[in-house]
Amino acid sequence: MAPRLNPLTLLAAAAAVLAMTTAASSWPVSLTVAAGAAVLAALTGTARRVLLAGGAVLLPFWFSLLLMHGLFFPEGRTVLAAFGPARVTAEGLGFAFDMGLRTSAFVLVLMVFSFSVGVPDLVAALTTLRVPPQFGYILAATLLLAPIIAARLQTVRQAQESRGLVIGKDFRSRLHALRLQMFPLVLGLVHEAGTRAQALDARGFRRPGPRTTYREVHDSAAQRVFRWSVLLLAACAVVLRLVTSYSPGTPA
Amino acid sequence: MSQPSLTLPTPGQQSARKRRLLELLGAAVIAATFIYLVLTQPTDITGGLSSVSALVALGGFLLGAALLIAGVLPTLPTSTVVLMPVALVLNIVLGQLMGTSGLPFYFDAIGTVLIAVLAGPAAGAATGALSSIVWSFINPTVLPFAAGSALIGFLAGTAARYGLFRRFYLAPVAGFVTGILAGVVSAPIAAFVFGGTSGAGTGAIVSAFRAMGDTLLAAITKQALISDPMDKAIVFAIAALLAYALPRRTTFQFPFVRRFNVLAGKSPAEKNAGGETAARKNA
Repeated sequence: MAPRLNPLTLLAAAAAVLAMTTAASSWPVSLTVAAGAAVLAALTGTARRVLLAGGAVLLPFWFSLLLMHGLFFPEGRTVLAAFGPARVTAEGLGFAFDMGLRTSAFVLVLMVFSFSVGVPDLVAALTTLRVPPQFGYILAATLLLAPIIAARLQTVRQAQESRGLVIGKDFRSRLHALRLQMFPLVLGLVHEAGTRAQALDARGFRRPGPRTTYREVHDSAAQRVFRWSVLLLAACAVVLRLVTSYSPGTPA
Repeated sequence: MSQPSLTLPTPGQQSARKRRLLELLGAAVIAATFIYLVLTQPTDITGGLSSVSALVALGGFLLGAALLIAGVLPTLPTSTVVLMPVALVLNIVLGQLMGTSGLPFYFDAIGTVLIAVLAGPAAGAATGALSSIVWSFINPTVLPFAAGSALIGFLAGTAARYGLFRRFYLAPVAGFVTGILAGVVSAPIAAFVFGGTSGAGTGAIVSAFRAMGDTLLAAITKQALISDPMDKAIVFAIAALLAYALPRRTTFQFPFVRRFNVLAGKSPAEKNAGGETAARKNA
Protein backbone atom coordinates (compact mmCIF):
# COMPACT_ATOMS: atom_id res chain seq x y z
CA MET A 1 0.00 0.00 0.00
CA ALA A 2 1.01 3.63 -0.31
CA PRO A 3 3.92 4.21 2.05
CA ARG A 4 2.28 7.47 3.09
CA LEU A 5 -0.34 5.58 5.07
CA ASN A 6 0.54 4.98 8.68
CA PRO A 7 0.47 1.25 9.62
CA LEU A 8 -1.78 2.14 12.55
CA THR A 9 -4.31 3.61 10.12
CA LEU A 10 -4.36 0.33 8.24
CA LEU A 11 -4.64 -1.63 11.48
CA ALA A 12 -7.52 0.53 12.75
CA ALA A 13 -9.32 0.23 9.42
CA ALA A 14 -8.93 -3.57 9.35
CA ALA A 15 -10.08 -3.95 12.96
CA ALA A 16 -13.07 -1.66 12.41
CA VAL A 17 -14.14 -3.46 9.24
CA LEU A 18 -13.90 -6.83 11.03
CA ALA A 19 -15.89 -5.63 14.04
CA MET A 20 -18.60 -4.20 11.80
CA THR A 21 -18.76 -7.33 9.62
CA THR A 22 -19.13 -9.53 12.69
CA ALA A 23 -21.73 -7.20 14.20
CA ALA A 24 -23.73 -7.08 10.97
CA SER A 25 -23.51 -10.86 10.42
CA SER A 26 -25.42 -10.86 7.19
CA TRP A 27 -24.14 -12.54 4.09
CA PRO A 28 -24.50 -9.51 1.75
CA VAL A 29 -22.24 -7.48 4.07
CA SER A 30 -19.72 -10.33 4.38
CA LEU A 31 -19.70 -10.82 0.62
CA THR A 32 -19.18 -7.09 0.01
CA VAL A 33 -16.33 -6.93 2.51
CA ALA A 34 -14.63 -10.03 1.09
CA ALA A 35 -14.96 -8.71 -2.46
CA GLY A 36 -13.75 -5.29 -1.32
CA ALA A 37 -10.68 -6.87 0.26
CA ALA A 38 -9.95 -8.77 -2.96
CA VAL A 39 -10.26 -5.57 -5.01
CA LEU A 40 -7.99 -3.72 -2.57
CA ALA A 41 -5.44 -6.52 -2.89
CA ALA A 42 -5.59 -6.21 -6.68
CA LEU A 43 -5.12 -2.43 -6.49
CA THR A 44 -2.09 -2.74 -4.22
CA GLY A 45 -0.56 -5.50 -6.33
CA THR A 46 -0.72 -8.18 -3.66
CA ALA A 47 -3.68 -10.02 -5.22
CA ARG A 48 -1.67 -13.14 -6.15
CA ARG A 49 -0.14 -13.61 -2.73
CA VAL A 50 -3.34 -12.77 -0.84
CA LEU A 51 -5.45 -15.14 -2.93
CA LEU A 52 -2.88 -17.97 -2.74
CA ALA A 53 -2.43 -17.70 1.03
CA GLY A 54 -6.14 -17.03 1.59
CA GLY A 55 -7.13 -19.97 -0.61
CA ALA A 56 -4.84 -22.31 1.31
CA VAL A 57 -6.69 -21.36 4.51
CA LEU A 58 -10.21 -20.97 3.16
CA LEU A 59 -10.64 -23.91 0.77
CA PRO A 60 -10.30 -26.65 3.44
CA PHE A 61 -12.48 -24.55 5.72
CA TRP A 62 -15.29 -24.23 3.17
CA PHE A 63 -15.04 -27.95 2.38
CA SER A 64 -15.30 -28.83 6.06
CA LEU A 65 -18.21 -26.39 6.64
CA LEU A 66 -20.24 -27.69 3.71
CA LEU A 67 -19.63 -31.30 4.71
CA MET A 68 -20.50 -30.60 8.35
CA HIS A 69 -23.60 -28.45 8.02
CA GLY A 70 -24.67 -29.50 4.54
CA LEU A 71 -25.16 -33.12 5.57
CA PHE A 72 -25.83 -32.96 9.31
CA PHE A 73 -27.86 -30.10 10.72
CA PRO A 74 -30.28 -31.37 13.39
CA GLU A 75 -31.92 -27.92 13.68
CA GLY A 76 -32.86 -27.99 9.97
CA ARG A 77 -36.55 -28.33 9.04
CA THR A 78 -36.63 -27.99 5.24
CA VAL A 79 -35.18 -31.28 4.01
CA LEU A 80 -33.92 -31.10 0.44
CA ALA A 81 -32.50 -34.62 0.21
CA ALA A 82 -31.80 -37.49 2.60
CA PHE A 83 -29.16 -40.23 2.42
CA GLY A 84 -29.69 -42.55 5.35
CA PRO A 85 -28.76 -40.59 8.50
CA ALA A 86 -27.51 -37.61 6.46
CA ARG A 87 -30.07 -34.97 5.57
CA VAL A 88 -29.33 -32.01 3.32
CA THR A 89 -31.37 -29.13 4.75
CA ALA A 90 -31.86 -25.60 3.47
CA GLU A 91 -31.08 -24.19 6.93
CA GLY A 92 -27.82 -26.15 7.11
CA LEU A 93 -26.63 -24.96 3.72
CA GLY A 94 -27.65 -21.40 4.61
CA PHE A 95 -25.69 -21.56 7.88
CA ALA A 96 -22.59 -22.94 6.14
CA PHE A 97 -22.89 -20.21 3.50
CA ASP A 98 -23.26 -17.42 6.12
CA MET A 99 -20.37 -18.65 8.25
CA GLY A 100 -18.15 -19.35 5.25
CA LEU A 101 -18.63 -15.85 3.85
CA ARG A 102 -18.05 -14.21 7.25
CA THR A 103 -14.82 -16.16 7.74
CA SER A 104 -13.73 -15.40 4.17
CA ALA A 105 -14.18 -11.68 4.87
CA PHE A 106 -12.23 -12.09 8.15
CA VAL A 107 -9.33 -13.91 6.50
CA LEU A 108 -9.10 -11.71 3.39
CA VAL A 109 -9.19 -8.42 5.32
CA LEU A 110 -6.43 -9.54 7.69
CA MET A 111 -4.35 -10.91 4.80
CA VAL A 112 -4.60 -7.64 2.88
CA PHE A 113 -3.44 -5.90 6.04
CA SER A 114 -0.51 -8.22 6.76
CA PHE A 115 0.69 -8.28 3.15
CA SER A 116 0.45 -4.53 2.63
CA VAL A 117 1.94 -3.35 5.91
CA GLY A 118 5.70 -3.07 6.30
CA VAL A 119 6.71 -4.88 9.49
CA PRO A 120 9.53 -2.42 10.36
CA ASP A 121 7.08 0.46 9.93
CA LEU A 122 4.49 -1.29 12.05
CA VAL A 123 7.02 -1.89 14.84
CA ALA A 124 8.11 1.75 14.74
CA ALA A 125 4.49 2.92 14.82
CA LEU A 126 3.63 0.60 17.72
CA THR A 127 6.35 2.14 19.90
CA THR A 128 4.49 5.46 19.68
CA LEU A 129 1.42 3.73 21.15
CA ARG A 130 3.26 2.80 24.39
CA VAL A 131 3.08 -0.88 23.46
CA PRO A 132 5.90 -2.66 25.36
CA PRO A 133 8.99 -2.50 23.09
CA GLN A 134 9.44 -6.24 23.63
CA PHE A 135 6.27 -6.83 21.62
CA GLY A 136 7.70 -5.07 18.58
CA TYR A 137 10.94 -6.99 18.96
CA ILE A 138 9.18 -10.35 19.12
CA LEU A 139 6.93 -9.55 16.15
CA ALA A 140 9.77 -8.38 13.93
CA ALA A 141 12.27 -11.02 15.07
CA THR A 142 9.83 -13.88 14.46
CA LEU A 143 9.02 -12.78 10.93
CA LEU A 144 12.73 -12.22 10.19
CA LEU A 145 13.87 -15.45 11.87
CA ALA A 146 11.37 -17.72 10.12
CA PRO A 147 13.26 -17.98 6.79
CA ILE A 148 16.62 -18.16 8.61
CA ILE A 149 15.46 -21.05 10.77
CA ALA A 150 13.93 -22.81 7.78
CA ALA A 151 17.32 -22.56 6.03
CA ARG A 152 19.00 -23.80 9.20
CA LEU A 153 16.74 -26.84 9.27
CA GLN A 154 17.78 -27.54 5.68
CA THR A 155 21.47 -27.37 6.72
CA VAL A 156 20.88 -29.70 9.66
CA ARG A 157 19.12 -32.18 7.40
CA GLN A 158 21.94 -32.09 4.86
CA ALA A 159 24.52 -32.59 7.60
CA GLN A 160 22.63 -35.57 9.01
CA GLU A 161 22.10 -37.03 5.54
CA SER A 162 25.82 -36.80 4.86
CA ARG A 163 26.29 -38.88 8.01
CA GLY A 164 24.00 -41.55 6.69
CA LEU A 165 20.48 -40.43 7.65
CA VAL A 166 17.97 -42.10 5.36
CA ILE A 167 14.31 -41.30 5.92
CA GLY A 168 12.51 -44.59 5.46
CA LYS A 169 8.83 -45.28 5.06
CA ASP A 170 8.06 -46.82 8.42
CA PHE A 171 7.03 -44.93 11.54
CA ARG A 172 10.15 -45.70 13.62
CA SER A 173 12.53 -44.52 10.93
CA ARG A 174 10.59 -41.27 10.54
CA LEU A 175 10.56 -40.69 14.27
CA HIS A 176 14.31 -41.28 14.39
CA ALA A 177 14.85 -38.85 11.49
CA LEU A 178 12.71 -36.26 13.24
CA ARG A 179 14.79 -36.62 16.41
CA LEU A 180 18.05 -36.29 14.51
CA GLN A 181 16.88 -33.04 12.91
CA MET A 182 14.97 -31.44 15.74
CA PHE A 183 17.49 -31.72 18.55
CA PRO A 184 20.46 -30.07 16.80
CA LEU A 185 18.13 -27.36 15.48
CA VAL A 186 16.59 -26.49 18.84
CA LEU A 187 19.81 -26.73 20.85
CA GLY A 188 21.63 -24.46 18.40
CA LEU A 189 18.81 -21.92 18.43
CA VAL A 190 18.56 -21.78 22.22
CA HIS A 191 22.31 -21.35 22.50
CA GLU A 192 22.28 -18.51 19.97
CA ALA A 193 19.42 -16.81 21.80
CA GLY A 194 21.63 -16.63 24.90
CA THR A 195 24.33 -14.80 22.99
CA ARG A 196 21.77 -12.42 21.51
CA ALA A 197 20.34 -11.68 24.96
CA GLN A 198 23.73 -10.51 26.19
CA ALA A 199 24.19 -8.27 23.17
CA LEU A 200 20.73 -6.74 23.63
CA ASP A 201 21.18 -6.24 27.37
CA ALA A 202 24.43 -4.44 26.76
CA ARG A 203 22.45 -2.00 24.62
CA GLY A 204 19.83 -1.26 27.28
CA PHE A 205 17.04 -3.44 25.87
CA ARG A 206 15.25 -3.77 29.21
CA ARG A 207 15.49 -0.10 30.04
CA PRO A 208 12.11 1.57 30.61
CA GLY A 209 11.29 4.91 29.07
CA PRO A 210 10.94 6.37 25.60
CA ARG A 211 12.70 4.82 22.63
CA THR A 212 14.29 6.65 19.73
CA THR A 213 13.65 5.19 16.32
CA TYR A 214 15.64 5.91 13.19
CA ARG A 215 12.65 5.01 11.10
CA GLU A 216 10.24 7.85 10.48
CA VAL A 217 6.70 6.70 9.96
CA HIS A 218 4.49 9.08 8.10
CA ASP A 219 1.49 10.30 10.06
CA SER A 220 -0.90 13.19 9.70
CA ALA A 221 -3.76 14.85 11.55
CA ALA A 222 -6.21 13.60 8.93
CA GLN A 223 -5.09 10.00 9.51
CA ARG A 224 -5.43 10.40 13.27
CA VAL A 225 -8.98 11.70 12.82
CA PHE A 226 -9.74 8.84 10.42
CA ARG A 227 -8.43 6.25 12.90
CA TRP A 228 -10.54 7.54 15.76
CA SER A 229 -13.65 7.88 13.64
CA VAL A 230 -13.52 4.34 12.20
CA LEU A 231 -12.92 2.89 15.64
CA LEU A 232 -15.82 4.95 17.01
CA LEU A 233 -18.01 3.77 14.14
CA ALA A 234 -17.08 0.15 14.86
CA ALA A 235 -17.84 0.63 18.56
CA CYS A 236 -21.25 2.08 17.65
CA ALA A 237 -21.99 -0.90 15.41
CA VAL A 238 -21.07 -3.33 18.19
CA VAL A 239 -23.13 -1.45 20.81
CA LEU A 240 -26.09 -1.26 18.43
CA ARG A 241 -25.94 -5.01 17.89
CA LEU A 242 -25.72 -5.70 21.63
CA VAL A 243 -28.63 -3.36 22.41
CA THR A 244 -30.92 -4.78 19.72
CA SER A 245 -30.17 -8.34 20.80
CA TYR A 246 -30.98 -7.68 24.45
CA SER A 247 -34.05 -5.50 24.04
CA PRO A 248 -37.11 -7.74 24.49
CA GLY A 249 -39.17 -8.72 21.50
CA THR A 250 -36.47 -8.52 18.86
CA PRO A 251 -34.64 -11.66 17.82
CA ALA A 252 -30.89 -11.72 18.38
CA MET B 1 22.58 -15.50 30.19
CA SER B 2 21.42 -11.97 31.00
CA GLN B 3 22.98 -10.03 33.82
CA PRO B 4 21.84 -6.72 35.30
CA SER B 5 23.47 -3.91 33.39
CA LEU B 6 26.30 -2.21 35.23
CA THR B 7 25.93 1.12 33.48
CA LEU B 8 22.17 1.53 33.13
CA PRO B 9 19.59 1.88 35.91
CA THR B 10 17.58 -1.29 36.44
CA PRO B 11 13.81 -1.04 35.88
CA GLY B 12 12.04 0.07 39.04
CA GLN B 13 9.77 -2.16 41.05
CA GLN B 14 7.00 0.44 41.44
CA SER B 15 5.22 -0.75 38.31
CA ALA B 16 5.39 -4.40 39.35
CA ARG B 17 2.02 -4.24 41.11
CA LYS B 18 0.37 -2.61 38.09
CA ARG B 19 1.77 -5.35 35.83
CA ARG B 20 0.51 -8.06 38.14
CA LEU B 21 -2.92 -6.42 38.10
CA LEU B 22 -2.96 -6.39 34.28
CA GLU B 23 -2.02 -10.07 34.29
CA LEU B 24 -4.83 -11.02 36.68
CA LEU B 25 -7.29 -8.79 34.82
CA GLY B 26 -6.42 -10.54 31.56
CA ALA B 27 -7.01 -13.97 33.09
CA ALA B 28 -10.29 -12.74 34.63
CA VAL B 29 -11.51 -11.36 31.28
CA ILE B 30 -10.76 -14.68 29.55
CA ALA B 31 -12.53 -16.67 32.28
CA ALA B 32 -15.56 -14.33 32.29
CA THR B 33 -15.83 -14.51 28.49
CA PHE B 34 -15.79 -18.29 28.56
CA ILE B 35 -18.41 -18.50 31.32
CA TYR B 36 -20.63 -15.98 29.52
CA LEU B 37 -20.39 -17.93 26.25
CA VAL B 38 -21.26 -21.26 27.80
CA LEU B 39 -24.15 -19.87 29.89
CA THR B 40 -25.77 -17.81 27.14
CA GLN B 41 -25.08 -20.01 24.14
CA PRO B 42 -27.81 -19.50 21.56
CA THR B 43 -30.15 -22.48 21.54
CA ASP B 44 -31.29 -21.90 17.97
CA ILE B 45 -28.34 -21.12 15.71
CA THR B 46 -30.55 -20.98 12.63
CA GLY B 47 -32.35 -17.86 13.92
CA GLY B 48 -29.45 -15.45 13.84
CA LEU B 49 -25.77 -15.88 13.12
CA SER B 50 -24.95 -15.95 16.84
CA SER B 51 -23.50 -12.54 16.15
CA VAL B 52 -23.42 -11.44 19.79
CA SER B 53 -21.63 -14.61 20.85
CA ALA B 54 -19.08 -14.10 18.08
CA LEU B 55 -18.49 -10.48 19.11
CA VAL B 56 -18.14 -11.41 22.79
CA ALA B 57 -15.84 -14.33 21.99
CA LEU B 58 -13.60 -12.27 19.71
CA GLY B 59 -13.55 -9.18 21.91
CA GLY B 60 -13.25 -10.90 25.26
CA PHE B 61 -10.58 -13.43 24.35
CA LEU B 62 -8.47 -10.93 22.39
CA LEU B 63 -8.71 -8.30 25.13
CA GLY B 64 -7.73 -10.89 27.73
CA ALA B 65 -4.75 -12.02 25.65
CA ALA B 66 -3.66 -8.41 25.08
CA LEU B 67 -3.85 -7.61 28.82
CA LEU B 68 -1.81 -10.73 29.60
CA ILE B 69 0.86 -9.73 27.08
CA ALA B 70 0.97 -6.13 28.35
CA GLY B 71 1.26 -7.34 31.93
CA VAL B 72 3.83 -10.09 31.44
CA LEU B 73 6.17 -8.91 28.67
CA PRO B 74 7.91 -6.02 30.45
CA THR B 75 8.64 -8.18 33.50
CA LEU B 76 10.48 -10.90 31.59
CA PRO B 77 14.28 -11.06 31.55
CA THR B 78 15.94 -10.48 28.19
CA SER B 79 17.02 -14.11 27.98
CA THR B 80 13.36 -15.15 27.90
CA VAL B 81 12.22 -12.39 25.53
CA VAL B 82 14.96 -13.36 23.07
CA LEU B 83 13.93 -17.00 23.24
CA MET B 84 10.31 -16.16 22.38
CA PRO B 85 10.75 -15.50 18.64
CA VAL B 86 12.65 -18.79 18.46
CA ALA B 87 9.75 -20.53 20.21
CA LEU B 88 7.20 -18.94 17.89
CA VAL B 89 9.12 -20.02 14.80
CA LEU B 90 9.47 -23.51 16.30
CA ASN B 91 5.69 -23.61 16.75
CA ILE B 92 5.31 -22.91 13.06
CA VAL B 93 8.31 -24.75 11.53
CA LEU B 94 8.03 -27.91 13.64
CA GLY B 95 4.31 -27.91 12.96
CA GLN B 96 5.08 -27.94 9.26
CA LEU B 97 7.82 -30.58 9.68
CA MET B 98 5.24 -32.78 11.41
CA GLY B 99 2.87 -32.10 8.55
CA THR B 100 5.38 -33.38 5.99
CA SER B 101 6.32 -36.37 8.16
CA GLY B 102 2.82 -37.73 7.58
CA LEU B 103 1.96 -38.16 11.26
CA PRO B 104 -1.68 -37.34 12.09
CA PHE B 105 -1.11 -34.47 14.57
CA TYR B 106 -0.61 -30.73 14.32
CA PHE B 107 1.87 -29.96 17.15
CA ASP B 108 1.71 -26.18 17.08
CA ALA B 109 2.62 -25.56 20.72
CA ILE B 110 6.05 -27.18 21.20
CA GLY B 111 7.84 -23.82 21.42
CA THR B 112 5.22 -22.47 23.83
CA VAL B 113 5.57 -25.44 26.18
CA LEU B 114 9.38 -25.29 26.01
CA ILE B 115 9.33 -21.61 27.09
CA ALA B 116 6.84 -22.41 29.85
CA VAL B 117 9.13 -25.15 31.19
CA LEU B 118 12.21 -22.90 31.12
CA ALA B 119 10.67 -19.58 32.19
CA GLY B 120 7.41 -20.26 34.03
CA PRO B 121 3.63 -19.93 33.67
CA ALA B 122 3.50 -16.18 32.99
CA ALA B 123 6.10 -16.38 30.23
CA GLY B 124 4.32 -19.45 28.84
CA ALA B 125 0.96 -17.66 28.73
CA ALA B 126 2.49 -14.63 27.00
CA THR B 127 4.26 -16.86 24.48
CA GLY B 128 1.04 -18.70 23.69
CA ALA B 129 -0.92 -15.49 23.13
CA LEU B 130 1.90 -13.96 21.06
CA SER B 131 2.16 -17.14 19.02
CA SER B 132 -1.43 -16.76 17.84
CA ILE B 133 -1.02 -13.04 17.14
CA VAL B 134 2.20 -13.38 15.15
CA TRP B 135 1.02 -16.50 13.34
CA SER B 136 -2.11 -14.62 12.24
CA PHE B 137 0.13 -12.66 9.86
CA ILE B 138 0.36 -15.90 7.88
CA ASN B 139 -2.91 -17.59 8.83
CA PRO B 140 -5.54 -15.16 10.23
CA THR B 141 -7.86 -17.90 11.50
CA VAL B 142 -5.57 -18.67 14.46
CA LEU B 143 -5.92 -15.13 15.86
CA PRO B 144 -9.13 -15.70 17.89
CA PHE B 145 -7.56 -18.76 19.56
CA ALA B 146 -5.01 -16.58 21.40
CA ALA B 147 -6.66 -17.20 24.78
CA GLY B 148 -6.57 -20.98 24.33
CA SER B 149 -2.87 -20.89 23.45
CA ALA B 150 -2.21 -18.68 26.46
CA LEU B 151 -3.94 -21.24 28.67
CA ILE B 152 -1.73 -24.01 27.26
CA GLY B 153 1.40 -22.00 28.08
CA PHE B 154 0.14 -21.15 31.56
CA LEU B 155 -0.80 -24.75 32.41
CA ALA B 156 2.51 -26.07 31.06
CA GLY B 157 4.38 -23.59 33.25
CA THR B 158 2.28 -24.52 36.27
CA ALA B 159 2.97 -28.21 35.65
CA ALA B 160 6.70 -27.43 35.49
CA ARG B 161 6.46 -25.36 38.67
CA TYR B 162 5.06 -28.33 40.59
CA GLY B 163 7.67 -30.73 39.30
CA LEU B 164 5.72 -32.63 36.63
CA PHE B 165 8.64 -32.23 34.21
CA ARG B 166 11.13 -33.85 36.60
CA ARG B 167 10.07 -37.34 35.54
CA PHE B 168 9.59 -38.05 31.87
CA TYR B 169 6.42 -40.12 32.33
CA LEU B 170 4.59 -37.32 34.18
CA ALA B 171 4.90 -34.78 31.34
CA PRO B 172 2.41 -36.48 28.98
CA VAL B 173 -0.07 -36.77 31.87
CA ALA B 174 0.13 -33.01 32.41
CA GLY B 175 -0.24 -32.55 28.65
CA PHE B 176 -3.34 -34.71 28.59
CA VAL B 177 -5.04 -32.63 31.30
CA THR B 178 -3.95 -29.39 29.60
CA GLY B 179 -5.41 -30.65 26.34
CA ILE B 180 -8.80 -31.23 27.98
CA LEU B 181 -8.96 -27.69 29.41
CA ALA B 182 -7.55 -26.00 26.32
CA GLY B 183 -9.93 -27.89 24.06
CA VAL B 184 -12.94 -26.89 26.15
CA VAL B 185 -11.90 -23.21 26.14
CA SER B 186 -11.18 -23.13 22.40
CA ALA B 187 -14.41 -24.85 21.36
CA PRO B 188 -16.67 -21.74 21.71
CA ILE B 189 -14.35 -19.86 19.33
CA ALA B 190 -14.65 -22.54 16.68
CA ALA B 191 -18.41 -22.77 17.20
CA PHE B 192 -19.40 -19.09 17.43
CA VAL B 193 -16.76 -17.27 15.39
CA PHE B 194 -16.19 -19.78 12.60
CA GLY B 195 -19.26 -22.03 12.80
CA GLY B 196 -17.12 -25.15 12.57
CA THR B 197 -13.60 -26.51 12.44
CA SER B 198 -11.13 -26.40 9.61
CA GLY B 199 -9.81 -29.68 8.25
CA ALA B 200 -11.65 -32.73 7.00
CA GLY B 201 -10.72 -35.03 9.90
CA THR B 202 -12.03 -32.83 12.70
CA GLY B 203 -15.00 -31.89 10.51
CA ALA B 204 -15.95 -35.56 10.18
CA ILE B 205 -15.86 -36.08 13.96
CA VAL B 206 -18.02 -32.97 14.53
CA SER B 207 -20.45 -34.22 11.88
CA ALA B 208 -20.74 -37.56 13.65
CA PHE B 209 -21.77 -35.87 16.91
CA ARG B 210 -24.12 -33.53 15.03
CA ALA B 211 -25.75 -36.57 13.43
CA MET B 212 -26.58 -37.75 16.95
CA GLY B 213 -28.39 -34.46 17.55
CA ASP B 214 -25.82 -32.52 19.61
CA THR B 215 -25.74 -28.72 19.53
CA LEU B 216 -22.86 -27.24 17.57
CA LEU B 217 -20.97 -26.18 20.72
CA ALA B 218 -21.43 -29.61 22.31
CA ALA B 219 -20.31 -31.40 19.14
CA ILE B 220 -17.19 -29.24 18.74
CA THR B 221 -16.35 -29.57 22.45
CA LYS B 222 -16.57 -33.35 22.20
CA GLN B 223 -14.39 -33.31 19.08
CA ALA B 224 -11.84 -31.18 20.93
CA LEU B 225 -11.92 -33.66 23.82
CA ILE B 226 -10.99 -36.43 21.38
CA SER B 227 -8.19 -34.63 19.49
CA ASP B 228 -6.60 -32.16 21.91
CA PRO B 229 -5.55 -34.26 24.95
CA MET B 230 -3.67 -36.75 22.75
CA ASP B 231 -1.98 -33.98 20.79
CA LYS B 232 -0.96 -32.06 23.90
CA ALA B 233 0.32 -35.21 25.65
CA ILE B 234 2.72 -35.77 22.75
CA VAL B 235 3.68 -32.09 22.59
CA PHE B 236 4.51 -32.07 26.32
CA ALA B 237 6.58 -35.24 25.94
CA ILE B 238 8.56 -33.72 23.05
CA ALA B 239 9.09 -30.46 24.96
CA ALA B 240 10.31 -32.48 27.97
CA LEU B 241 12.78 -34.40 25.78
CA LEU B 242 14.06 -31.13 24.29
CA ALA B 243 14.46 -29.60 27.76
CA TYR B 244 16.38 -32.69 28.96
CA ALA B 245 18.63 -32.50 25.90
CA LEU B 246 19.60 -28.89 26.59
CA PRO B 247 22.92 -28.56 28.40
CA ARG B 248 22.64 -27.85 32.15
CA ARG B 249 24.73 -24.74 31.60
CA THR B 250 21.88 -23.37 29.46
CA THR B 251 18.84 -24.47 31.46
CA PHE B 252 20.27 -23.30 34.80
CA GLN B 253 20.58 -19.79 33.44
CA PHE B 254 16.81 -19.50 33.79
CA PRO B 255 15.85 -18.41 37.33
CA PHE B 256 12.58 -20.38 37.12
CA VAL B 257 14.45 -23.64 36.45
CA ARG B 258 16.88 -22.98 39.32
CA ARG B 259 14.27 -21.86 41.83
CA PHE B 260 11.76 -24.70 41.42
CA ASN B 261 14.26 -27.36 40.35
CA VAL B 262 12.07 -27.87 37.28
CA LEU B 263 14.19 -30.47 35.51
CA ALA B 264 15.58 -32.24 38.60
CA GLY B 265 19.30 -32.67 39.08
CA LYS B 266 22.01 -30.38 40.38
CA SER B 267 23.33 -27.18 38.90
CA PRO B 268 26.64 -27.52 37.01
CA ALA B 269 28.49 -25.74 39.83
CA GLU B 270 27.14 -28.10 42.50
CA LYS B 271 27.86 -31.06 40.27
CA ASN B 272 31.46 -29.98 39.78
CA ALA B 273 31.83 -29.41 43.51
CA GLY B 274 30.40 -32.87 44.16
CA GLY B 275 32.76 -34.33 41.61
CA GLU B 276 35.72 -32.64 43.23
CA THR B 277 34.89 -33.92 46.71
CA ALA B 278 34.44 -37.38 45.28
CA ALA B 279 37.80 -37.10 43.54
CA ARG B 280 39.36 -35.90 46.78
CA LYS B 281 37.90 -38.85 48.65
CA ASN B 282 39.32 -41.23 46.09
CA ALA B 283 42.74 -39.63 46.29
